[in-house]
Amino acid sequence: MSKKTYRKISQGLFLLLFLFLFIQTESKGNDTLGYPVKLFLDFDPLIFITTLFASHGRKIPSAFFLSLSLIVMTVLLGRIFCGWICPLGTLHNIIGSLKKSHSLKVHVSWHKAKYYILFLLVSSSIFTLQITGIMDPISLLIRSFSLSIFPLLNHGIRGFFDSIYNANIPAVVNLSEPAYDFLKRNLLSFRDLYYIQAILIGLLFIVIISLNLLERRFWCKYVCPLGAMLGLLSGYSLLKREVSEGCTSCGICANRCQGGALQEKNSVWKNTECLVCFDCDDLCPQNAVTFGIGRNAHPSIDLGRRQVLLSLASGMLAVPLVRSTPFSRSDFSNPGLLRPPGSLEEKDFLKRCVKCGECMKVCLTNGLQPTLLEAGLEGLWSPRLIPRIGYCEYRCTLCGQVCPTGAIQRLPLEEKMKTKIGLAMIDKGRCLPYAHSTPCIVCEEVCPTSPKAIWFEEFSVKDRGGEEIIVKQPHIDLDRCIGCGICEAKCPVGNRPAIYVTNIGESRSKTNQLLLL
Amino acid sequence: MHRREFLKYAAIAGCGLCLGEKLDLITSAEAAERRDLVVAQGVGKSPSLITMAAIGAFGGMKKFISRGDIVVIKPNIGWDRTPEQGANTNPEVVAAIVKLCFDAGAKKVKVFDRSVNDPRRCYKQSGIADAVSSLGAEVSFVDDRRFKDVSIKGQVLKSWPLYADALEADKIINVPIAKHHGLAKLTMSMKNWMGIMGGQRGRIHQKIGESLADICLVVKPTLTVLDAVRILTTNGPQGGSLADVKRLDTIIVGVDQVAIDSYGATLFDMRGSDLSYVKAGAAAGLGIMDLSKLKIKKLNV
Repeated sequence: MSKKTYRKISQGLFLLLFLFLFIQTESKGNDTLGYPVKLFLDFDPLIFITTLFASHGRKIPSAFFLSLSLIVMTVLLGRIFCGWICPLGTLHNIIGSLKKSHSLKVHVSWHKAKYYILFLLVSSSIFTLQITGIMDPISLLIRSFSLSIFPLLNHGIRGFFDSIYNANIPAVVNLSEPAYDFLKRNLLSFRDLYYIQAILIGLLFIVIISLNLLERRFWCKYVCPLGAMLGLLSGYSLLKREVSEGCTSCGICANRCQGGALQEKNSVWKNTECLVCFDCDDLCPQNAVTFGIGRNAHPSIDLGRRQVLLSLASGMLAVPLVRSTPFSRSDFSNPGLLRPPGSLEEKDFLKRCVKCGECMKVCLTNGLQPTLLEAGLEGLWSPRLIPRIGYCEYRCTLCGQVCPTGAIQRLPLEEKMKTKIGLAMIDKGRCLPYAHSTPCIVCEEVCPTSPKAIWFEEFSVKDRGGEEIIVKQPHIDLDRCIGCGICEAKCPVGNRPAIYVTNIGESRSKTNQLLLL
Repeated sequence: MHRREFLKYAAIAGCGLCLGEKLDLITSAEAAERRDLVVAQGVGKSPSLITMAAIGAFGGMKKFISRGDIVVIKPNIGWDRTPEQGANTNPEVVAAIVKLCFDAGAKKVKVFDRSVNDPRRCYKQSGIADAVSSLGAEVSFVDDRRFKDVSIKGQVLKSWPLYADALEADKIINVPIAKHHGLAKLTMSMKNWMGIMGGQRGRIHQKIGESLADICLVVKPTLTVLDAVRILTTNGPQGGSLADVKRLDTIIVGVDQVAIDSYGATLFDMRGSDLSYVKAGAAAGLGIMDLSKLKIKKLNV
């Protein structure tokens, strides 16, 4: 087998592993998931280093040190991660193979863009702004799959089987339902998933993937900041490409080079751009190309001092720019911004959250949703609980378990059950026992704390006919309430619940408090 | 439930409605059975053993389940709580009933509930899914497509979406747990049918007594097994604190749900007449509230 075949097998296996772990990022009813579902993020050195910078090295999850192995591997063998492992890279390969003609056009200067993006991200992280997750390929892939592509797949498949079911032709349904059951057990999500920004995030992903039709591996060559980081490291790698005397300068290698490391016939091989795909080794009609171990003599890429400084400065300036909004004031809080239980204080939270979407994927109730601007531009796509879509399940700690950076801390169950993410308040103008002399106790019934945070006061009220009715009017014990939002989720006054949660009183904040205590 | 059996019960219920207190006049086997209650207690004994003894004393499962029956067992799996917390039916009780059904020749036994908390956690943490799937019962999550609008013609509920599997089964066994409830005071067998209701069922709390009696007009269990192995005395219906749980090691078996709930009230030092749905059920002729009119067999396991 050629090296290229090994590479393809490796890509396939890693993509399958990625998809397997992705599917497993869902509860089966136990307290833990049973698989290291955030493994790809743990191995991501870009997320590691920017989190390290942004949070000034405090409380770094130990799993992150796995990513050092990727750094070592790259220093030894070049961007083998990009060519052999990265699941997004593999998807780019698959989509790129749809493009029939191999464009010769390589935009030499565009290669540099990804390095400037990297410098911008790293420099802003040094000044405590963590926006890497927006462009980090692993984070981007998990987020896009979790919040858009996978829900889309689910709606499609469910819609298909439901329409067969509803057509109600016994012979067909008897065949389709077992197949549907199988898919439900092994592939589909437990429930239909809805995410507020599914369309935007999905379209962005489709654009990124479609760039392969313009030029293969467009993202990897010109945009990917992780690729840039590994590129810089591979500038010192021991991987060496050699061309023997037999070379006829036919140009096939340059023509097909995935990373654009060979830009034209007889050009110098740029090790920073080589994805170690071994296509050139495989394709060379003269068998003149070999890869070996040795020191590379030539410097890899010239980025230009002025441009490097400019990108570093841009990253620095981005910090005060995105923070010049009221969201940065410690006494300002968007009341509807309910962060998952275990989240760090907002400023520290934003320094860590890489918007990978793992918490939103694993959330039992679909209640964790991506923000748009509710947490400022800095918080774009960070998680927020919307109780009307789904409440926070009292005895679940999964979001803290899957968070790769510790933005959401992993809480022991006992502690989680006491962690306030906000407080519930009653809208007496809509609540049935208060406003409409009608009995209702749903909020109290579902309140999970023990003793319950919702208690009753019995009132004798009269209906229109003057008949006396005893109603139990709910009150909230703010000491007991943890803001889980199940009361809001299940309130029969559904479209605008008569009980609702805002983030005042959240355990993580010193300033957003209400009670004297 | 077979059609014939349904018609028989419907006729009896109809007579009951007409005759009211004169129900005693009916001497058919079914009517006698409806008045029977077995209360089995076995302090320190396994819930499974107590359940088997109670059902045995009630005539045995073979009296109720025929060979080839498709049986639905409806426990309370409403909450993400462990068995010790007494918010869901005891898994060993459910497992014992599943086993007895298979022993009696049941072709298929289905176990489900429309949970309030996340169904995956409820099924798992209650211990019920693991306890009964290993016995060969079909444990499935509620499938929203299978709620069918059912005409009820009750006092309050004229129709409601109910779970087709529960209505289409040959036999259905109600296996509630006895526990406290903020509005209904207690929840036992009649209120357990909320677990087959679709739609926004929370609305029925506006007229809880009449609504539950209405549901019982259309759902007629073959057998009801009330789990009082552990009862939840306060902070119901989901509890959470072991301090609120009282261990009674008791199982109550009967056919008449009104009678069972009326007896169940005494476990909490209440009377059936304290419970709106028991009163409404008795008034609608669904069963007997007056314990003095029941034949209660007490059993020490």
